[in-house]
Order: sequence, then structure tokens, then C-alpha cells
Amino acid sequence: MRILVASVLSLTALASGAIAASPAMAAASSEVVSLRRLNQGEYRNSIADIFGPEIEVRGVFEPDRRVGGLQAASTAMLSITPAGFESFTKMADSIAVQVTAEKYRTKLPCVPKSAKAPDDACTAQVLNRYGMLLFRRALTQDELKSRVKLSNSQAKAAKDFYAGLRYGLASLIQSPDFLFRKEVAVSGDGKQYALEPFSRATRLSYLMWNTAPDDELLKAAQNGELNTAAGLGKQVDRLMSSPRLDVGMRAFFNDMLMLDTFDTISKDSLLYAKWGTVIANSAKEETLRTSVDLALHANGDMRDLMTTRKTFINRALAADYQLAFPFKGEWMPYEFDADSGRSGVLTQVSMLAMFSHPGRSSPTKRGVALMDIFLCEPTPAPPANVDFSVVNDTSGPLKTVRERLMAHATNSACASCHTHSDPIGLSLEGFDTIGGRRTTENGQKIDLAATIQGKSFVGAEGLGRYLHDNPKYTACIARKLQAYSKGENSEDVPASAVKIAYKAFADSGFRMRALLKGLVEAPDFFSAPPPVSETPTKTAANVTAQ
Amino acid sequence: MKLDRRFLLRGTCQGALAVLGLPFLDCFLDGKGQALAATGRPLPTRFGTYFYGLGLTKQLWIPKTAGKDYEMSIQLKPLEPLRQKINVFSGLRVPLDDNPNFQHWSGAAAAATGISPTKISEFDSKTIDQQVADSISHGTRFKSVAAAAAGDPKQSYSSLGAANTLPAEASPLALYTRLFGPGFQDPSKGDWKPDPQVMIQQSVLSVVADDRKRVMQDLGAADRARMDQYFSSVRQAELQMAAELQRPEIQAKVTIPEAPAEMTCNNALPNLRKSAPLMAKLGALALATDQTRIFNFSVSEPGSQVFVPGDSLGYHQSTHEEPIDPVLGYQPRVAQYNVYMMEMFCAFLQEIDAIPEGDGTLLDHSLFFAFTDQSFPKIHAVDGLPILLAGGASGRMKTGHHVLGDGSPVSRVGLTVQKAMGVSLESWGKGTMETKSPFTELLV
Repeated sequence: MRILVASVLSLTALASGAIAASPAMAAASSEVVSLRRLNQGEYRNSIADIFGPEIEVRGVFEPDRRVGGLQAASTAMLSITPAGFESFTKMADSIAVQVTAEKYRTKLPCVPKSAKAPDDACTAQVLNRYGMLLFRRALTQDELKSRVKLSNSQAKAAKDFYAGLRYGLASLIQSPDFLFRKEVAVSGDGKQYALEPFSRATRLSYLMWNTAPDDELLKAAQNGELNTAAGLGKQVDRLMSSPRLDVGMRAFFNDMLMLDTFDTISKDSLLYAKWGTVIANSAKEETLRTSVDLALHANGDMRDLMTTRKTFINRALAADYQLAFPFKGEWMPYEFDADSGRSGVLTQVSMLAMFSHPGRSSPTKRGVALMDIFLCEPTPAPPANVDFSVVNDTSGPLKTVRERLMAHATNSACASCHTHSDPIGLSLEGFDTIGGRRTTENGQKIDLAATIQGKSFVGAEGLGRYLHDNPKYTACIARKLQAYSKGENSEDVPASAVKIAYKAFADSGFRMRALLKGLVEAPDFFSAPPPVSETPTKTAANVTAQ
Repeated sequence: MKLDRRFLLRGTCQGALAVLGLPFLDCFLDGKGQALAATGRPLPTRFGTYFYGLGLTKQLWIPKTAGKDYEMSIQLKPLEPLRQKINVFSGLRVPLDDNPNFQHWSGAAAAATGISPTKISEFDSKTIDQQVADSISHGTRFKSVAAAAAGDPKQSYSSLGAANTLPAEASPLALYTRLFGPGFQDPSKGDWKPDPQVMIQQSVLSVVADDRKRVMQDLGAADRARMDQYFSSVRQAELQMAAELQRPEIQAKVTIPEAPAEMTCNNALPNLRKSAPLMAKLGALALATDQTRIFNFSVSEPGSQVFVPGDSLGYHQSTHEEPIDPVLGYQPRVAQYNVYMMEMFCAFLQEIDAIPEGDGTLLDHSLFFAFTDQSFPKIHAVDGLPILLAGGASGRMKTGHHVLGDGSPVSRVGLTVQKAMGVSLESWGKGTMETKSPFTELLV
């Protein structure tokens, strides 16, 4: 059996090389830099790319959290609970059933000698092939052996090669080596640590395409190309010239713009009868399309995301925006009129609706969210023991939200934060909780003037220009992209960490591609801090001693 | 329905005796109706938590008198039909020691762990339901099950500690599928056989678990803890399968309904009123058929975003922005929301109580711990949290009382609960909330 497996391995050039390389890696110091739980999008894309889009993935995923403005950061903190694993184990089996089903079999890398009996050589070939893609590295001998053995015994019992193969595959798909992206850094001298090649491939692939590394990228990891500037550049250019970059950047914008908020908000169906799931989903899609179109298709200036009147609408959104929709297709590009008062994603239904109450707009919610999303300036939680009553009394002298909010300013405990976040929200008061335009509230004309950090402006367009010209906004994009790529808390990313990337971003006139390329090709993108010495660093000596 | 005892002793409980809606068929119980005739083991006592955000209005919920025949208060009135099965606790303090008062979090976390939390949205230890689960859930299919009526899986206040919140099933259909979908062995089916597929899946899990040593290599402390959690989740799945291979000991004679339809689950009160009782019923069936002994339920998050359509403020905003009525002395709209929440709690308990079991009901053999995040949400106050217990814990808990906390820590309720559930422990909680004094007057 052992001999057989070994001989099969040698057939798979990619795998055998990696295994030969692994003892050498163990000799150097190594540390696990991060373990990131695959999120729903990453899992689905990985399965579709590894096995094919026809494989259905049905099941629930544990929720992520938001840390430093990004869900990506929480994936490096969260584990898998019993309920989460229960779902993963079922999904793994269901995927394995589909992959071993009759109609899929022609796609497998080999045909067993008999469909009614075990065939370890063929099993090993299949598991090596998919194992490499799932684990983003070659399987070790032990990992392979235990799974070939499992498949063998089940194939024997069922008198069915594929019935056995199913379980070997299922065990790979629920393994932590698939469910977590593990980044391993190695060091030759015990001081300078940098990601080993397969971890580099993984980080690049999930950042750029939001999926598992493909054969070519794994090959580049295998033959050392990713450790040279030229080899890395070649792969980065390939990843960036693919239309799949859209998928990766969609995932980034979805996270950065907090579009998952739509999963949990509801609107008051009496006050806003037209609101519903269709509009909510469309609003999310509108913002993703606008962002990806500007960033990648138009290769535009990312500052224009704050000011552009260009967008994409469908029928549901046309109704929400109260526009005539010419029925030429499901989605169409649209440009708001110059007097529409609209300004970039700031005034899209998504941003206006997500950060509002079910039945009314909320300058505070909008202000807090937009400060965090676009300026990387989170607002502290309000102090305890504060009486908010005056803010609400619409029957009293304070008619508009502005007047009611301004009453906060008289309370010093409130003032420090409200003057920080409210101006942004107040300038957006020309739009209601589902993004409709309005000029009055409770019979009073809405005042859209705002002053923030010494700069005065009026309305959403004024806010858009303020953010457009604010270097904190472009710096924030760079910082969030860096945190997203590494699964770090964006609040902990120092400006120095993105200096090179930011310079490339600015020099290009704030083109997203330049930022991306600058980020991943920066000399320290793959370096890692040395391990915290809670236990002695593993060296060749104590590895053998174990 | 009267059952012929000799007939029952013959153990033929099928056919003519198919009493719909009667779970623990009495034929499997001993003469007193409290133990399983076959094994002599007592019926399990079940536990659950019920989370509702934003508390109640002090002037309206605290009964004016204490003890067994307390004078019913306005806001507890919806619970009147079950008052003999409920205990109400007032005057409990939530000392946060040196930690900040995390708004809409500290109170809830303190009630559920006896520990003032050091981080928002994280519990500093396992929550009480998981501590009870460690002691009572052996051999059940699910160690615990969590459900959230408002459609958000994050609305779970059941946690293994730190970032390991146990996600909630977020719709009746999701809850149904988890409980009664694939893998469910209907204990009322006469032709029960272990499913060979389960054994195969166990061998798959054992291959996964065998990688443990290798996976643990080179990990820092935090990641090691996360991988430990992964492998204990694998272990949990193995135990779940082991349970599925056992003939269900509890021959519950309930009819498992058809899967519920997809429905809108969000914070709108009319939707909650549909989803919550349906989920309560499914949870009750899961407890009755011993799929799990722990059922955790939330009707909202802390800082409840529940709203009545047409009310542009909603519950949470109202607590902060509605003026206190100078004549009434409280916030009238908030008070109305409070009452809605108690009505929903009553509806929840009635689903548990609707299942007859032995000499009583499922609720009599259960204990539910209802807690919240604030006592006076307008200013994010936590002292005086309204805490309720429901169910007799199989006779180990006296019920029908209004208990005065007299400024003692909220953790005393948690300790009392665990004593009633048979958890062996002397003290519970940390810091000022560490306590060795359960409410002994309630324990039998």
C-alpha cells in the first residue's frame, strides 16, 4: 500500500515536489501567521472553481463579525462552533456525493480498474488532485494514506469504487486545512520571517479573485516563482488582467461598504410600502456595480465614487428613485440629472437605507457609518446616563431632526461625538430612510448645511466634494485594502504599512489597480513579524526530539 | 385519556394508543409518571434561555408585594395564566466592577455568565446554558439548540466563551430542518433501525480528527484555542452521530408536523408574532423527543430593534427619545412595547406547557431563564434587571414567587438555576458577582 501510494505520488509532479520540499521547510523555523475561516463567498467560489459551477452548495454558514470596519478581520478570530461544523460536514458530504455521481465521473482524473471494487491508485490520484486544490498545497503522505484507506474500506463494503471515493473526498472538504486559510511564514535565520510560497499564492488568490489558487498559481508557488519579484509580477499581472478580478473586488467593496447590513435591516411596511427584498437586493447590487465599474472597467479615479452621478439601475430601483425605466434589459447604466442632488454612492439607496431607522432617517447612524467606512474614523459609543428625550419630541418647538440633534450640542457629554459624526448625516437629510429625495420634514424646509473639521458645505453634493478632496478618504481605502488582504483590524494598520501602496495609488490618480498592484508587490507584503515567544521557537533540533 | 395499565405493561403502545400530541406516552413511565418504566431513570429535566431586549418599566413590572401570593403587576399581567409556574426576581444588582458599562451588553452578559464582560459582544465565559449543557446533555443528539425569531443568526446569547457564539437558527424552516430534517430518528416510529450511513460518517469524522496533532503544530496560543474549538466541534458531531445510532429512549408520541413554509423573519412585531410561537413549538417538540435538552431562544437583540409598523421610532429609539410622561412618570410607548414582549414570552411558555408529559407538562420538567440587557434603557442602567424563571425543573424548583433580590447580585439567580438543574458547583460568577448563595427558599 505504502509503495503504491508513493508511486502514484511520483506521477503527480506537482505534489511530489512539494512533499520533497516539506522536510526542508520543517528544518527552518516556521510559524503560523494567520488562520482565516473561509467566509461564505470564499467557500462557494472555491468549491465552484475546484469542482465546477454545476456543484450545488446548500447549507448555512456561521455569521462573521465586523472588526475595524471589516468582516475580513473577524475571520482571523473566529473558529467553527458545533452548529457550524454540523453544517460543514453535511455540505462536504453533499459535494462529495455530487462529485462521485455518474454524470460527473468523466471529469475525474482517472477511471478505476473496476467500478465495483477499490482501486487505491486511482483513489490516490483523485484525492491528490483535489487535495492540492482544496488545501492549497500538496497533501502529506499521512493525510493521503488515511483517506485512501477510508475510501478502500468503504468501497469494499459497498462493492462500489465511487461510494468509497465519496468519503475520502468528503473528509478533505470538512478538514480544517480547507475550511481555514493557513498562512505559514518561514525564516532562514530565525529573525526575518516571510510567507512560504503556497501561503503567498493563497493570500494573492483570495484577495484578487476571492477564491482558491488555481493550478497556475500553485505551480508558480511550487517552482519558487512567487519568491522572485519577476515571477510575482507575472502572476499579479495575470490575476489582474482576468475578468475574475471583478469577483475579488466585489467581495472587497461588499465588505468595506458594509453591504451585508442589508441582511438584517427591515423597513416599516406601513410608512414605506414599496420597500421589500427586491429593492434591498437591487440596492446592494447597484452599489457593487458602481464601485466595480469605476474601479476596474472605467479604471477611474476612486475619489469619484463620492461624486459621480453615474450608476446602474433596474426596474425596482427606478421605482424607488422615482425614475422612468426604459425596459431595455434587467440592468442599465444611468446618470442622474445635474439637479438631482445625488452624489456618488453616498446617495445611493444602499447607503441611505442601511444606516437609517425602519421608519425614519438617522443622521447619527449615517454619520457614524460613513465616518467609519470612508474616513476610517470610528465614533466612540455614547456615554451611559444620557437623556435623549428632547431629540424626539416632534410636537415641541424642534421640528426637524437637525434642530433636535443640535440640542445634543448643549450637552457636553454628547457634543464631542455628535459634532464629529452628525455633520455628515445632516448633509444627507435631503433623503429619507429608503433613499427618496425630500425637501421638507414635518412642514419645515430641511437645512442641509454642515461644517466638519472647519470646512463648510451644503447637502450631499457638498459632502461628496468634501470627501473627494479629503486625503483621509483615499488613505482609508488603502488601509482597508491592506487589512482586508491580511485579515487584520484596520485600526491597527499604521500608515507606514501602506506607504508604498498609497504612493502608487496617489501617483496613478487614485486608480484601484495601482493600489492593488502597489500593495501586493510592496517588498514587505509577505513578511511577518517573528513569533511571540510564549514557547521556544521550533527548530530542527526540537522537531526531531518530539 | 385513560390508559389500561395492564395493556400498557405489555408494551404495545402502537395502533389504538396513538394519542396525538401526547409525547412521553405514559406507557413508558412508571406508576408515578416521573420515570421511564423501562430503565427506571427519571425523565430528563430540560433547560432553556429566553432573551428579550430592553427590559421592562420599573414602575409597572415590579409587584408591590413579595412571596407566593404577590399582587400581580401591570406588565407581568400577560403572564397571569402561567403565574403558578413562574418566579419573578426584582432588586438584583449588576456590579460591573472595573469594567465599562457596555451599552446593551454588560447587563445581558452579566446575567448569562455572572461575569462583568471585558469586551462588547463577547461573553467572558461559557454562558449558563452551556454550563448546564455540560452536565445534562450527555447522549442527546444536540448538545444545545439556539433559535432567533427576528431572522438574524447573530441574535444568539448562547456562547462557548469569547468569540464562540453559537449561531441561532433564524427562521422556523431553518430550525425545523436542523431538528427534524435529515438525521432525525423519529422515536415514535415502531420500526426503528440504526442508519448504517451514520456509522460511515463517523469513520469520516475520525479521519478528520486524526489530523489534529499535525494541525496543532506551530500555532500561537489564540489560534491553538481556535483549532481546539474546531476539534471539539468535530467531537460534538461524533457524539451527535453516536446518539443517532441509539434507539431513542424516550418514546415521545408527538406528531412531527410538516416543514413550515418560508416566512419573513425580521423585527416587525407582526412578523415576530408569527415566527416566535412557531419556533417555540418546534423547540418544545425537540425537547419532548429528547433531540436536545437545551433550547435557547431570542426574540430580539439587546437594544431591541423591534418595531410596530407605522411607529417611525421603534422600540430602541423610543427608549432613548420618548419623553417621560410627567403625569404617568414613565414612557408610555416604551411601556407598551414592554407589554408586547411579555405577551410574547407567555406565548412562548404556553407552547412548552402545551405538551403533556408524565404527571404534568413539558414546562414542569423544564426550567427557562429569561433575561435582558437593561433595567432602564433610557440611560442604559443595568441594576434591577427584570429576570424571570419559568418551569418547575421536575419538582426541584418552587414556583409562583416574587423574589426580592434586596440588592444582591444577579448571579444568584444563575447559581439557583444550576442548583435546580443538578449542576454540582459551590459558587458562581466573578468579582463582586461571585456568589455562594442561591435563593435556597426556591430550591426543593
